[in-house]
Amino acid sequence: MESNRGSSLLELERVSVHFGGLHALREVSFSVSSGEIVGLIGPNGAGKTTAFNVACGFVRPSSGHVRYPAAGRSNVRPSDLARAGVARTLQGVGLFPHCTVLENVMAGGHIRPGGDFLTSLFALPRGVRSERALRESALTALERLGVADVAHQMPSAIPYGVAKKVSVARALMSEPSLLLLDEPASGLDEAELAEFSALIAELRASMGVLLVEHDMEFVMPLVDRLVVLSFGEVIATGTAAEVRGHEAVIAAYLGVDE
Amino acid sequence: MRGVRWNQRIVAAVALAAAAVLASWIGVGTARAATGLSVAAVVAILGATLISSREFRANHPVVARAAISVVAVDVSLTVTGFFSATVNSNLAIGAAMSIVLLGLSFLTGSSGQISIGNGAFMGVGAFTVAIWANHHATTPIAVVLIMSVLAGGVVGLLLGLPATRLRGPYLAGMTLAFAVAFGAILNLFGSWTGGDSGLQLPHAVNAPTWVVNFFTPQTSSLTTNSVWLVDVAIVTAGIALFFMANLFASRTGRAMRLVRDNDVAAELVGISLPRARVMAFIVSAAYAALGGGLWTMINNAVTPSTYGFALSITILSLVVIGGIGTIPGAIIGGLIYAFSANVIAWFTAHTGLNPQGNVASQLNGIIFGGLLVLTILFAPTGIAGFVRRRWLAWRSR
Repeated sequence: MESNRGSSLLELERVSVHFGGLHALREVSFSVSSGEIVGLIGPNGAGKTTAFNVACGFVRPSSGHVRYPAAGRSNVRPSDLARAGVARTLQGVGLFPHCTVLENVMAGGHIRPGGDFLTSLFALPRGVRSERALRESALTALERLGVADVAHQMPSAIPYGVAKKVSVARALMSEPSLLLLDEPASGLDEAELAEFSALIAELRASMGVLLVEHDMEFVMPLVDRLVVLSFGEVIATGTAAEVRGHEAVIAAYLGVDE
Repeated sequence: MRGVRWNQRIVAAVALAAAAVLASWIGVGTARAATGLSVAAVVAILGATLISSREFRANHPVVARAAISVVAVDVSLTVTGFFSATVNSNLAIGAAMSIVLLGLSFLTGSSGQISIGNGAFMGVGAFTVAIWANHHATTPIAVVLIMSVLAGGVVGLLLGLPATRLRGPYLAGMTLAFAVAFGAILNLFGSWTGGDSGLQLPHAVNAPTWVVNFFTPQTSSLTTNSVWLVDVAIVTAGIALFFMANLFASRTGRAMRLVRDNDVAAELVGISLPRARVMAFIVSAAYAALGGGLWTMINNAVTPSTYGFALSITILSLVVIGGIGTIPGAIIGGLIYAFSANVIAWFTAHTGLNPQGNVASQLNGIIFGGLLVLTILFAPTGIAGFVRRRWLAWRSR
């Protein structure tokens, strides 16, 4: 897999996060490159979500750096992520409850040109064209994931697995080079897990993927590399096979008597 | 109109238009008045033909929106020629109020913020018009109205910036503070604003002579000030409505709804929350100021007491009664406001209540309060939402 790895997309360099006296992350470093799928795993409370939130700018690092080398940015705000070529799904589904599925997916293309205030106010042709193109590509994205039939439904009316696909469709609308998936497997049944796994593997061709996940059966065969966190520190990195045999990892998951 | 083919529609529209032209030429005295009425009828019928086609609405959303605004304005202008001066004056007030309600509807309905200060934003526009007119009496009214919009927008920006750090009740509290402080602020600049007594316009707003001269002056209803003012208010409201419909249907409008629905997800698609919130606030303030500017023209004067705290509450109630986040709701709210005085007059006349008495002076509050309670109990989406639901239910039977 090393051969098809491309440029570096996300780099965390000695990132620490303190909430008061609590060390949520301690000198965490890892990176994600294009063409690879990296899994961020660890026991509950290990700091996976915090690491994700630091990467997205929702949490400021107390020390260290978060860089997006491909976009030439560092320490971005969440609202700049999409423009830096990064898309993220949220835990659960994170859809907009009072917008239709189609609008939800169109929302993912918010940063495309032709959507500024004056263009909207005066309904300028370029804005109208841009919205029409956005609608088309949102429908295409839904079709790609096989859920185009629910385009005009509300998120509350569709099954959970379908809603998860919609949230991925939304994330893909900004044509990201890096996709961050927050617990993509949670709440899915066997068939959906297999579909999702195939989808993520397919995305590797055009982007880098970082995912946080509990479900080891889902993660292990899918990822190129794993980063294992425990108590806010990286205790192991490597392929699934390497990590599986790592003593510290077994200790962190099973617990050992000192 | 479902099932009617496109070309059949056109034939029907042309036939109707021809009949309307003929009727106005037979029915109306002067040639020019008949011409005016004919043009109005043709515009209305052709516009309605376009709007009634679902296919046209889908393929040309902006033209359809413009057509709806033009037809609404066209019909409203035509009927004002037949109304009494009192009704027209009420309609003018109501049309201006509709603009204010559109603004608050956008802020509350789309972006989910609440403002209890829109009465004061109206005051900003109202005083802008009065102060400017007292220094430069000859400026065209369109320019003065645009200045009131800009003034409202600037004040909205100044108040909106700190508002980006506030949410829910705290933002409402800040707008409330502005509403309460507005009178005192006006007094601070008494030499400009006229203090407690306010300002008088140097002369009434009248129709330009070329408009009056088109219709012969003896027969034109436009020579009366009340018709001109209501027409100005209606045209302004039509333009404001068109722009608001654009916003609601655009990416900007969607961004507001996204922020309201799920702010974390909205940030991740690239929306800056502070910017979206301030923008909604500016739009709402600018619309309020435009309505206030019109009020000054309609009343020919401005007094600070008009723009007190009570007005802000009335505006908020009207938005809820009409239907938050909808354009018809804002129009319904404006009409309710326009004719509430008539309802009170009718009530006092029939019950023998002293119109100057204690009870009668509170009737306004009683009516709006009562309507508000009824709306929240029986039609939480407002009158517009209620009617829409009934209509959809009826159509799908």
